[in-house]
Amino acid sequence: MNTPTRSVALVGVGVVSAAGRGVAATLAGFRAGTRSPAPVSLFPCAISCPVFEVPGVPTEPGINARTFAMAMIAVKESLAEANLTPETLASRRVGVCLGTTVACQLNALEFYATLRATNEAPLDAVDSYLKGNLADAIGRRLSVTGPCVTVANACSSSADAIGVALSWLRLGLCDIAIAGGADELNRIPLTGFHSLSVMSPEPCRPFDRDRQGLNLGEGAGVIVLETDASAAARGFRSSLRLSGYGAAGDAYHMTAPRPDGAGLESAIRAAMMDAGIATADVAFVSAHGTATRDNDKTEATTLARVFGPSLRFLSTKGFTGHALGAAGGMAAVFTALGLREGWLPANAGFQTLDPEIGIAPLSAVTPIAGAHGLATALAFGGSNAALVISRADARVAPGRPPA
Amino acid sequence: MNIRGLGVVFSHGRGPAALRETLAAGWRAPREWVTRHRPSPLPAYALRPDELAEQGCLKTLRRADRFSRMAALAAWDAVQDAGPAYTASRDRTAVVIATAFGPHVTTFRFLNDILDFGDTGVSPTSFSHSVHNAAAGYVGKLLELHGPTVTLTQFAFPFHYALLLAQAWIESGLCDAALVGAVDELGDVMGYICGHRLRIPADGRIRPLDFAAEPTAVPGEGAAFFLLDRAPTSSPYGALESVSFASPPTSGSAPDLCIVEADGLNGDEGPYRVARQLGAPLAGYAPLYGSLLSGSGLSLACAAVSLRAGAIFGADPPPAGPGAPQRILSLRSDCSGRTAWLSLARSAAATQ
Repeated sequence: MNTPTRSVALVGVGVVSAAGRGVAATLAGFRAGTRSPAPVSLFPCAISCPVFEVPGVPTEPGINARTFAMAMIAVKESLAEANLTPETLASRRVGVCLGTTVACQLNALEFYATLRATNEAPLDAVDSYLKGNLADAIGRRLSVTGPCVTVANACSSSADAIGVALSWLRLGLCDIAIAGGADELNRIPLTGFHSLSVMSPEPCRPFDRDRQGLNLGEGAGVIVLETDASAAARGFRSSLRLSGYGAAGDAYHMTAPRPDGAGLESAIRAAMMDAGIATADVAFVSAHGTATRDNDKTEATTLARVFGPSLRFLSTKGFTGHALGAAGGMAAVFTALGLREGWLPANAGFQTLDPEIGIAPLSAVTPIAGAHGLATALAFGGSNAALVISRADARVAPGRPPA
Repeated sequence: MNIRGLGVVFSHGRGPAALRETLAAGWRAPREWVTRHRPSPLPAYALRPDELAEQGCLKTLRRADRFSRMAALAAWDAVQDAGPAYTASRDRTAVVIATAFGPHVTTFRFLNDILDFGDTGVSPTSFSHSVHNAAAGYVGKLLELHGPTVTLTQFAFPFHYALLLAQAWIESGLCDAALVGAVDELGDVMGYICGHRLRIPADGRIRPLDFAAEPTAVPGEGAAFFLLDRAPTSSPYGALESVSFASPPTSGSAPDLCIVEADGLNGDEGPYRVARQLGAPLAGYAPLYGSLLSGSGLSLACAAVSLRAGAIFGADPPPAGPGAPQRILSLRSDCSGRTAWLSLARSAAATQ
């Protein structure tokens, strides 16, 4: 075995979305190709575009509590898979880095409406918000004391959070890092994305010629990372590794991706360089693929330019909707699962090749035999992020040497 | 990491020179801050609107809200301040921004849209500017930076984590330089929250060296940005030696000053007493710019300006000799009593 020295072990994954609660249910849903978007039922809203809700989330009172609850579902599953008990966590330096968009904002509509009308309002929502910074709240719940911060990078938040966690492990700040993200369906982004005219009135169709926009979703995607020394000390062997992260800014527009995809390409190439692999080594790409006209055109043409026309790629947004700050974490989990299970789901919703894109995503459940998968994320503000996840038995060149 | 350039926007001005003048002049009373949801004004260190006008950036920032404008102008100033010392490629310069609350004024502006015009009548511009990383987007666009761009948020030590991330990225080769900043703003809703949750003193004065169990706070706002790199030349602002949690840095010479970041926001300030054990003069600069959870950025700016000036301002006790400070620590404690430290040291060949 020749693993990159700068990569870290990926020892557990956890996920919850409309595609399923937990890895097993998600894989079953992916294989069956089932999806069930519907108008939002969680809160009153005049917008009838379909969304992907997660059923049966046990939620405590408080602002952003649904995000926390979904994050905990994914965190618990990932820790169980990693065989990390509370006792083991207590004996290690454990960091928490999670991304979100909704849960870092004081989106307290009821509180604000009352305050605006009367100049008086109870501060319960504010107190809940101040206790609810996602990474801090998860860290407190787990009683871990390592580095802890929330990434608020819009739709690339949790992909970047995984990159931040990787940097902590490489710097020696912690032995184990819980990374990814969570976001809940909320009236504010629902109305906001509707105002941008990027929401589809029908189930979304990523990369399809006739795509009409995105469906919002919700959920959480979390991976557990560990240094080789820590994993070896407890006798844990992982079949996967996080081997690379790259990010780049468009410096172009607040909401639209740079049309030439230069920022995304830089992020992808940086992640591959970090992992010590070449384009030919990438078996597939779990793409951001929101199903908006701009995102999918920019992303797919960039992927075609970097990897060539025979690339295997897909978006899972047709199963989950766009879960905003959770999207990158979910894509990382799905990439890990693709490598581990040896197959990928179809790109739900895709029917017709878009001539402006020129390449087609996977249209059926597809066996995968490669060693490296890549996940991408694009965001408001022009952020682009890419992650390389690898099989632990992959043979790779050394990654970028330390400066 | 060397501090190549510094940009600050705060209630008493903009730029390193304004900060140095403020450090030298000492405490000045805060402004009367009129907020929508309070019957009477609050004392606060709020920015003057004219601090956020900048002809050179007007086109790019024409739609930017106040939060993004503060960040973008401080970042712009940091790059201008570095001048030819900024040698890294803009394609390999990262942006890392720390904030506690993000652009909450725009968030509430967006909520106004929902309340006034319904779900289908909201402004897309308000929505796109209400996300925490809008400011980073403006910084990147204004300065044409194409490196990694990330915004971190937390209520305890967001700026410390931003510095750590920049250090990791520069050391790993993901970028060659990083613009690291801290920014937070005041607004009407924050005024209401501050009025109910903080002990705001009648004289408008924060007392960081009282180590009070029930301290006083005066709301503040502002931004501080640092252009950091590892180029082998010295910088007059010094070099960031370390970011550490729980205990003070153990390497390096004895500090010439320890900045106590107590600003009344986190309750019992007893944990700051640990600074006395260092034996160095203490100073607290929050009274100059106010209480804000991302205030570590402005505190580090004060340390950097002090190193550049070769002087210590407002210390208790005053430094024993006239020598220029070589090493300055800055200590922050959160509401749980956890502590974080920054260590800034004069570069070997630094000149004023």
